Amino acid sequence: MLLSVITLLPLAFALVMLVLPEKVIRPVALLLAVVEFAVSLLLLTSFDKASPAIQLVEQIPWVPEMGISYFLGIDGLSLWLVILTTFLTPIVVLGSWTAIDNRIKGFHAALFVLQTSMIGSFLAMDAVLFYVFFELSLVPMYFMVGIWGGQRRIYATVKFFIYTMAGSLMMLLAIIYLMFACRDTFGQMSASLLDFYRLKIPFVAGEFLNPQTLLFFAFSLAFAIKVPMFPVHTWLPDAHVEAPTPGSVILAGVMLKMGSYGFLRFVLPMFAEASQYYAWLFLFLGVVGIIYGALVAMVQPDIKKLIAYSSVSHMGYVMIGLFSLNMYGVSGSLYQMLNHGISTGALFLLIGMIYERTHNREIAKYGGLAKALPIYTIIFIIVTMSSIAVPMTNGFIGEFMILLGTFEASRPFAIAAVTGVVLGAVYMLWMVKRVFFGPAGELVRDEHHPLHDLNARELTVMAPLVVLIFWMGLNPNFFLDYSKASLDHFVKNRDNYRLAVSPAQPKLENVAVRGEAQ
Amino acid sequence: MNPTELITLREFITVVPLCVLFFVSLIPLLIKPFLGGREPNPISVLVWNFLAILAAAGCTGALFGHSYQKTFAFSNAIVLDGTSVWMSYLVYIVTAVGIMLAYDHVATRGRQFTEFCFLMVSSACGMLVLIMSNDLIVTFIGIETMSLCLYILVAMSREQVLSKEAAFKYFVLGSFASAIFLYGIALVYGTVGSTYLPDVATQGVKLISTNRVFLVGAILLITGFAFKVSIFPFHTWTPDVYQGASTPVTAFMSTAVKAASFVAFLRFFTSEAFVAAPHLLTVMTWLAVLTMTVGNVAAILQNNFKRMLAYSSVAHSGYALVGLITAGFGTNYNAAATSLLFYLFSYSLMTLGTFALVAVFERSENTSLEINDLRGVGRKYPWLAMSMTVLMLSLAGIPPTLGFFGKFFVFSSAIEQDMYWLAFWGMINSVVSVYYYLRPIVVMYMSEGEAETLQIGLMTRGTVIVTGLLIVILGILSSPFFRMVQNSVMNQF
Repeated sequence: MLLSVITLLPLAFALVMLVLPEKVIRPVALLLAVVEFAVSLLLLTSFDKASPAIQLVEQIPWVPEMGISYFLGIDGLSLWLVILTTFLTPIVVLGSWTAIDNRIKGFHAALFVLQTSMIGSFLAMDAVLFYVFFELSLVPMYFMVGIWGGQRRIYATVKFFIYTMAGSLMMLLAIIYLMFACRDTFGQMSASLLDFYRLKIPFVAGEFLNPQTLLFFAFSLAFAIKVPMFPVHTWLPDAHVEAPTPGSVILAGVMLKMGSYGFLRFVLPMFAEASQYYAWLFLFLGVVGIIYGALVAMVQPDIKKLIAYSSVSHMGYVMIGLFSLNMYGVSGSLYQMLNHGISTGALFLLIGMIYERTHNREIAKYGGLAKALPIYTIIFIIVTMSSIAVPMTNGFIGEFMILLGTFEASRPFAIAAVTGVVLGAVYMLWMVKRVFFGPAGELVRDEHHPLHDLNARELTVMAPLVVLIFWMGLNPNFFLDYSKASLDHFVKNRDNYRLAVSPAQPKLENVAVRGEAQ
Repeated sequence: MNPTELITLREFITVVPLCVLFFVSLIPLLIKPFLGGREPNPISVLVWNFLAILAAAGCTGALFGHSYQKTFAFSNAIVLDGTSVWMSYLVYIVTAVGIMLAYDHVATRGRQFTEFCFLMVSSACGMLVLIMSNDLIVTFIGIETMSLCLYILVAMSREQVLSKEAAFKYFVLGSFASAIFLYGIALVYGTVGSTYLPDVATQGVKLISTNRVFLVGAILLITGFAFKVSIFPFHTWTPDVYQGASTPVTAFMSTAVKAASFVAFLRFFTSEAFVAAPHLLTVMTWLAVLTMTVGNVAAILQNNFKRMLAYSSVAHSGYALVGLITAGFGTNYNAAATSLLFYLFSYSLMTLGTFALVAVFERSENTSLEINDLRGVGRKYPWLAMSMTVLMLSLAGIPPTLGFFGKFFVFSSAIEQDMYWLAFWGMINSVVSVYYYLRPIVVMYMSEGEAETLQIGLMTRGTVIVTGLLIVILGILSSPFFRMVQNSVMNQF
């Protein structure tokens, strides 16, 4: 029940938002989001971290004719991503307290629908259910960018929607193909991931037109667009720049992770041979993304665009970690997903705060902000440190593990990726120097609009993020312990991946469980 | 069966719903002369017609609802099976909604409301014949009954110049299509010696690859159907007619007419004859691909909302054609036919809702609704806007709406038959279509502007909101719905 509650509670909240009067929306939304976070923390107590199996399983037939079921489960791969989602939502609600000033009813309803769809895609163990949540997440985000966004919001939001949808429809074709493959192999259609893992999909190395390669690329395209990987990343800067602050935070914080999670959950275990064979391609694109993202970020005149490109660069690390296919790389990637959610989310929030004060994001117009806003500066620099992976912050752990893993897998790529670390420091620190130090810029000098430092609400928003940055940087084992069993199982048995269900439920409908019981 | 034999009671029962529908709907028309030619109270007209539809639906339910036993009647020319029962329900629903919309709409609720309703119901009678027909001649009669009423209905919007033009265009092109269809029947009869569909099927298997005349006849028949369901390159009348006709008529045409014609098409097309004709499969595949592509690409270019929906309806014919092709050429008839019927249901529901929404915005007879006229609706009429959003997303096939599952089932049956090419193009087209389905949403919510004050008829408003809700609910609970359709299709062949 717990997983269903966590998934569907926000949907109920969204309905609550629609009927409440405008005045009480914000406090109630905050309260509900905190309740949801508290409920999701129950996962930590009921989750057995020693077991790689998917846990707390719920399965109800949905379209039995096609073997589709409402099938939720959680394991070490998805646990932290779910909690990241529920953690960021109250922060976003509080962070947008003043930034979103019109149609707040619709905004919070969209936010909660988005939360349901994101949690649903992390928890779904049925491919069609996953697809439904994955696509559903586009709709609220589309409205968020389109209604509350900046100048070119419509262009950005339509581009975002069509780009993502184009990728995921090919995935839908692939899912349907696999469902029929299940029927041919097990005698019954199934969309359960557990059955997909058991399929033996023919693979011919070096040829393109064979089932596993095509399926591999169909899934990869969907997820690569979502991540986004280099050359299909172009929707991201547009969407990020035009999105309102809360939209950017959720987009960077969680939605991009749906892509990398998809690689982890679907692509790598299901198409083991193809992903081994084509790993070089993704390592290459990942490295190109790291360096390209960093170089483009460096020359951006707009702070938000700079952070958007830094996302491309950071997600490049996640991808090379995943495709290094060893324990260090994959755990590092999972960790980096969380880090990126926290540090980039924090950066977008900080940019939103300064934007609310000056209504401008051009780096050239700032300068000397450190004198005017000391507390803001301290927090910004802490977050920057996390973003450029300075030891003691969370970013260091993730990037270090990824580089370790990549080094083991392929030295040239690791060497190329390391340059990205340097470049990352360059563009972030250079930006910090131009914005916070040096002579006061025209916006900072402006006598008519003196800048105020962070107020209590804004400090409350940033405090948990800053705490997490250090906590995750100093005690990574607390977080990694929960995922260790799953990751270990993943790396060791990827060629012949099976997921057990715990507690074993005899009434399970899917073929896999029944097949193994016989 | 001996043709000279009198019609038995059992045979008569099969057409009872049809007779009930027709004769009850005559009543308001008969009342009119007694009122001295004055228009009877529109409410009473509405009530009589509803009564007719309810009674017919009741008959269908009571007589055939319990079992989907296949029954033949009238020398096997009429077949009653699950498909006809289910599609009859669809026709009843669409007709009822069409009349409701007409009651609220400025262009139709006038002097001739009685006649309008009668024509709509008569057209529905034609559709009932069409979906039950098991013989090409009966199919032709059904098509003609349906179409003749439609020609008048299209022309009946009084002031609209476009409506006259549309009616004339539809009439001329429709007559051509009928002639082509008849010629096809003649050629098929000449080679097979029968117009009875099972005969055509059994003999066609051999004839299709040996006899050119039969092949030409079959192609002419397909052309006739293609015109009715607006498949490329016979779709050109669609945008003009859909735009010119008053919106309730458009709603009726784009749903019931298309669904009924598709069912007749299905009955003709799934006679095994065509499995033996691989070149025909190639042609049909390309027709489907082109229909989808042309419809979607042309829809992107439209600014008029009704024209956009007309092209979108062309595109949807393409998706339905994918289902038809898999049913006709594939090995798993049941799955494919189920997906096609399911698709027709979902498409009809979405389209009805959308046109009801268009009707909401038409305040005078000459309004032509541009997409940009929807500005500010999101603020002023949040529920309407939300329904519209759901309808558009459903047409685009975004989960978890009914439209998604419609497409999902159609494409999965295509993949089951290894027709990856069709499924691939269907997917590409879905992406293209997203662009123009998002436009109304963009305009409603994201553009600056103030919406005009609307007077929204109760029934139109109800239609919009009910379809919006149904699309989500039936989408999430699509399984029982799918199973019902599946059971009804099971024992067809």
